[in-house]
Amino acid sequence: MTSQTHDKVVIVGGGPAGTAAAAELARHGLKSVIIDEAPKLGGVIYRGPLRQTDSLPHLDDNLKRAMTALQTRYQAHSDSIEVKTQTRVLGPEGSNQLLLSDNSGLSRQPYGHLILATGCHERSVPFPGWQLPGVMLLGGVQLQLKSGLVRPGQRMALVGTGPLLPLVACQLHKAGVDVVGVYEASPFAKLAKEAVALLNKPKLTLSGMSMMSYLKKHKIPFKYGWGIVSAQGKEQLNSIQVAPYDSQWRAQRDLAQQVDVDAIGVGYGFVARTQLAMLLGLDHHYSKVSGYVPVLDEWHQSQNHEAFVVGDSNGLLGADAAICEGQLAALRLAWQCGKITESQLSARSTKVKNKLARIKKFRFGFDRFSDRQSGLLSLAQPETVVCRCEQVRREQLDKAIAQGVKDITSLKMRTRIGMGDCQGKTCSSYALDYLHQAGLTENIGVIKPRFPLDPIPFTLME
Amino acid sequence: MKSLKRTRDITPLPSRNFKITVDDQPVDACEGETVLSVLLAANYARVMENDRNVASGAYCGMGVCHCCQVKINAKHKQRACQTLVEPQMSVETLTNRFKEEGIKHD
Ligand code: FES
Repeated sequence: MTSQTHDKVVIVGGGPAGTAAAAELARHGLKSVIIDEAPKLGGVIYRGPLRQTDSLPHLDDNLKRAMTALQTRYQAHSDSIEVKTQTRVLGPEGSNQLLLSDNSGLSRQPYGHLILATGCHERSVPFPGWQLPGVMLLGGVQLQLKSGLVRPGQRMALVGTGPLLPLVACQLHKAGVDVVGVYEASPFAKLAKEAVALLNKPKLTLSGMSMMSYLKKHKIPFKYGWGIVSAQGKEQLNSIQVAPYDSQWRAQRDLAQQVDVDAIGVGYGFVARTQLAMLLGLDHHYSKVSGYVPVLDEWHQSQNHEAFVVGDSNGLLGADAAICEGQLAALRLAWQCGKITESQLSARSTKVKNKLARIKKFRFGFDRFSDRQSGLLSLAQPETVVCRCEQVRREQLDKAIAQGVKDITSLKMRTRIGMGDCQGKTCSSYALDYLHQAGLTENIGVIKPRFPLDPIPFTLME
Repeated sequence: MKSLKRTRDITPLPSRNFKITVDDQPVDACEGETVLSVLLAANYARVMENDRNVASGAYCGMGVCHCCQVKINAKHKQRACQTLVEPQMSVETLTNRFKEEGIKHD
């Protein structure tokens, strides 16, 4: 085991939020360590290709610019930023230390200050057939396009909600995939209502419109108010059923259509990744959009523990907001460490806060548009598996609730949901929604994260 | 021995590449790739068989769902999406200890 001095700021996560925080700290003379699971900084959104390539024909210029900007932001301050890639945080150890694992074994990372920028993961919505090989989450599809440079399928459809749908559809098409349909759960009329909110980010709105016209030009059907019903295939996916959704996103099954595909991307939203924040003991509260998120002050600092939480791990606002939040936390920390004066803090942070406010208005427009409706929960039939690791079926949840289970921990003990390898990351948002739908809203709790957050291979213990 | 063909690459593999084996069949791979990308490039959708004997493919692609676990260099339960390829790596799909050792769930 190795230990290092702990005057440094330790940042968990090297996506837009973590990298922006590190750069801002460096600007004020503070050194930091970024820890990231991936082989490269950038986060899921801006990591870019992991292997060598001469061109990225399938990615648009905006994305390429943003990827470069993140690398530049880091490069300009690389002397002050230590980067530990392919390194996982297993959890807190003692006070002011994290336990890490990488290829060479376990190590401890002491910290003077902690910034969590752990991002988010995708929300799973179980439907019949969702376990079939070929069914992927939308971000997983995109990672293969952007970082793997591989087409995850040859004939694909996308189902879900939100701005990622047209974006990934364009990327897939440019990568040579036959995109046979894109199904957005929310109706167009609802998007039109958000016009004012969307004007807070006119450039983004315009680029969204140009994506829609790209799809139109290439005759890729984009249907508002439609969504997944089920997936079919014997050993792997070969078709899906899609249907119009009503205003509650209940699938109108009698109008279902079959679409032949060999892979799909499913994207009905995200959940903040807060396992580490929970293990550290930060207070959390529930938000419908983001799941359980830490309680923070205006600088993104938790009061019951001095850690900062920035980016999607404290609520889903996307990369631009993540950058602002990383900067705000870094500025506050620079002030707390006596590196900048109060007036410098307020001068620089006002600009960032204003920008963040604009992004939020835009983003909240999309959140209202993509607000998931209860119909999604009824896609899973009684026999549909809702927890993949433990193969727990929906009817087992029904039975447990009928027998009086009122919170997620009892649900877990009764049915084994969340007990498998993924520790509930895949099934728990559905389980929470399901309990809420059953009228249980008080003290439901969360599937408590366990230490270690990632399995420790036996080989590392020898 | 028959090599696996990569048919799903968006841009060509760099000239400096190496071989790994997937289910004993050689396939081209290059530095920086994940095992999952190689599997998908070679048209694999079915990747893992879990402890409850259900086959699955990669689902989240980012290390969260544990639906892509394969045997790598004789070690079970390695996430294909989180492991970078190395020369001579051997990957086995659709296998796990429960199956290999005949362990049964009660
Ligand atoms: S695909 Fe989810 S962990 Fe690898």
